[in-house]
Amino acid sequence: MAIVNLQNVTYKYPLTDSPALQNINLQVNEGEFVAIIGPNGAGKSTLCYTLAGFVPHFFKGELTGTVEVAGGESHNSSLSEWVLNVGLAFQNPFNQISGAKYTVFEELAFGLENIGIPRQEMKARVEEAMKLTGISDLADRSPYSLSGGQQQRVALTSILVMQPKVLVLDEPTSQMDPIGTREVFGVIRKMAQRGMTVILAEHKVEWIAQFADRVIALKDGQILLDDIPSEVLTSPILPANGFGISRYTSIARKAQEMGLWNKDRLPITLDQAVEGFFNEGRK
Amino acid sequence: MHDRLSFYYYRDSILHQLNPLTKLVLVFGLMLISFIFPFFWTPHILILVAIIPLIFVGKVKREYLNATIRIILPATMFLFVMQALFQPLGDRELFRIWFLHPTLESTLFAFRNAARVFAIASSFTIFLLTTHPRELMSDLTRRGLPPQIAYVIISTLQILPQMQAKAQTIIAAQRSRGLDTQSSFLKRVGSLVPLVGPLVFGSLVEVEERAIAIEARGFTSTRVKTSLHEIPDTNLDKALRWILIGLVVITIALRIWLS
Amino acid sequence: MNIEIKDLHFTYPTGLEALRGISLSIEPGEQVAIVGQNGAGKTTLVKHLNGLLQPTRGQVLIGDWDTTKYSVAKLASRVGYVFQNPDEQLFSKNVGAEVAFGPRNLGYNGDQAQALVKDALALTELSNKTETNPYDLSATWRKMVAIASIISMDTAIVIFDEPTTGQDAVNIARIANVIAELRKRGKTVITISHDIDFCAENFGRVIAMSQGKILLDGKTNDVLGQEEILTTTYVDPPQLTRLGKRLGFNKTVKNQEEFLAALKK
Repeated sequence: MAIVNLQNVTYKYPLTDSPALQNINLQVNEGEFVAIIGPNGAGKSTLCYTLAGFVPHFFKGELTGTVEVAGGESHNSSLSEWVLNVGLAFQNPFNQISGAKYTVFEELAFGLENIGIPRQEMKARVEEAMKLTGISDLADRSPYSLSGGQQQRVALTSILVMQPKVLVLDEPTSQMDPIGTREVFGVIRKMAQRGMTVILAEHKVEWIAQFADRVIALKDGQILLDDIPSEVLTSPILPANGFGISRYTSIARKAQEMGLWNKDRLPITLDQAVEGFFNEGRK
Repeated sequence: MHDRLSFYYYRDSILHQLNPLTKLVLVFGLMLISFIFPFFWTPHILILVAIIPLIFVGKVKREYLNATIRIILPATMFLFVMQALFQPLGDRELFRIWFLHPTLESTLFAFRNAARVFAIASSFTIFLLTTHPRELMSDLTRRGLPPQIAYVIISTLQILPQMQAKAQTIIAAQRSRGLDTQSSFLKRVGSLVPLVGPLVFGSLVEVEERAIAIEARGFTSTRVKTSLHEIPDTNLDKALRWILIGLVVITIALRIWLS
Repeated sequence: MNIEIKDLHFTYPTGLEALRGISLSIEPGEQVAIVGQNGAGKTTLVKHLNGLLQPTRGQVLIGDWDTTKYSVAKLASRVGYVFQNPDEQLFSKNVGAEVAFGPRNLGYNGDQAQALVKDALALTELSNKTETNPYDLSATWRKMVAIASIISMDTAIVIFDEPTTGQDAVNIARIANVIAELRKRGKTVITISHDIDFCAENFGRVIAMSQGKILLDGKTNDVLGQEEILTTTYVDPPQLTRLGKRLGFNKTVKNQEEFLAALKK
């Protein structure tokens, strides 16, 4: 059952000449984990904003086509109702802290206060969400005293506590160090395993290769590829268009040119690469 | 590095437990009475009878003393000296040195004014020491203050220290490009743009992202907002507020009647 | 220009002891990557090189200059520092003026400065954007403007603080090109980076830090081969190094050429 349905979506930001999204057709089923890759400027953020309703309601501009997410249709909904169904988190954790609250617990409750959730239910939801994302020990800390990885997990939790049906993440690990990256991906993976529909824009291809059900390659506002990871991440279209690919894939491709890799499939993970090269060695 | 984000200190005192609006009324009440009550020694009496006791009730002696010694006392003493020396009132001279010839009248006048300022500054200080900004904003919002205004006030309080940190980084970055922060005054005026520019432009991006973030958490929802913490408003609070308002009314009436 | 660091200790005013006895020397023209977990002291160390921080104990020499005897503005003539966030330094009305800011501060006259600017813009592929306002550019190009602004200062030593954070593959390649060109010109390039693959492929020497001390300091291959020690400071080996190890290579490899060479054997 498609929880996301974009048909012929084209969008232009105000005061710009060229469209940021061109003729996007995208269906996502409930519970799918979809990754979006592309060079900077490809339209990943715009696509995320469109799924989350900020395009067009926040940014204005011209949006044509059908945008249906979690039962709502973009042109007929208000942003304040849309955000209840679609959660959005992005790169910079510092900018996602409201600044209105002095402890992490209160920060997490901020969204629930805004939408009028009763006090008892508020506390229950916050505590459950903190357990889920592993930040219960940060409850009394000031959000500004946390590390980048901790802040980003708080930001994610503050969205999860609103119980959205779809989670849209725009490069959530771009500013993280390796530990923070691991922590954030841990939370995302857990959500996906619990059945949350996740749409993740990312550069870190090694992680996508392991966790995503589907990968969409975006360039200049258009979808170039939309398929399972092993198809998309090994496609020669990617390196030809400036996409970053895993070094496991690129080394195997080079080896293939030299006759040192004879499997049909190029690897996208470390294990696949090891298996492939080992088999070569045995020949 | 965790900076203090407000002037508030937690104590187990009656003053801390009072509703924030009550304390706000208290501060303004003291201010109005010390200015309007038609009796010379009003502010001095208020200090002894109301403000000093409040410091003990609120258990904030040390912090209050700190603020007094560092800021309030120096400021009011300066005010006193200036007014005593340069306000030409009356003609009963106390002494004459060089061009300074304070009169008894001007000294008394200055003494009263200084006491007024001391009373106001002290009551505000006690207020800040015993009231957490989030409580004040939460209570005012419940009473009808638009949440957008409350948000702007609170987030500014928290984000200003962060902007300070950002400003430090900008200064470091520009110094690393050869910007001389120790040269002549004129050069330093010219170096304002490289310091302020990035702060402003960088903040614009941040502000937009933060607006999106709070929007994503229902900030503009039209539903009736609830609050995580309950701020009690007891009968004692209500009684205190009415008493204070009553006192202010009496003060104004007395003033009008006697003039 | 040599860099000499002798028993450097540094404690922040808050009492945090960030550097606990660092000694190292860097020859002119070396390419050094500093890695290690957050809080290891990498940025603290590097800020001593241009005088932003002064030693609590010990000495830092840039060439023949003791950093305690020169202001940051003066040291800027020898050490260029590219900060992580370009938005914390961009302010000019166009790219050309922005890139000229550094050289003008260093005292180059109009013509000299223009030549330096032209060169820096060419290196960072910004030649056609001279008249554009930096804030009209995307984050990708703002990063290149920030880099150009430091290259135009033509310092003997250039420091990059987390240059690849948030960048896509194309821009990372551009930045790698810039570093390669700086190497050709004999500049000393020092970087702090979490991107271990980037470090492995562009830098010949790696220093791993942990808790204010140096854990490892040597040629890239030697350092990256010591997985157990690197793990203690939360550094994973680069992808190709890991692959090589799993395949049982007897040498540590750090990039494609070395991998393929080892594979053939």
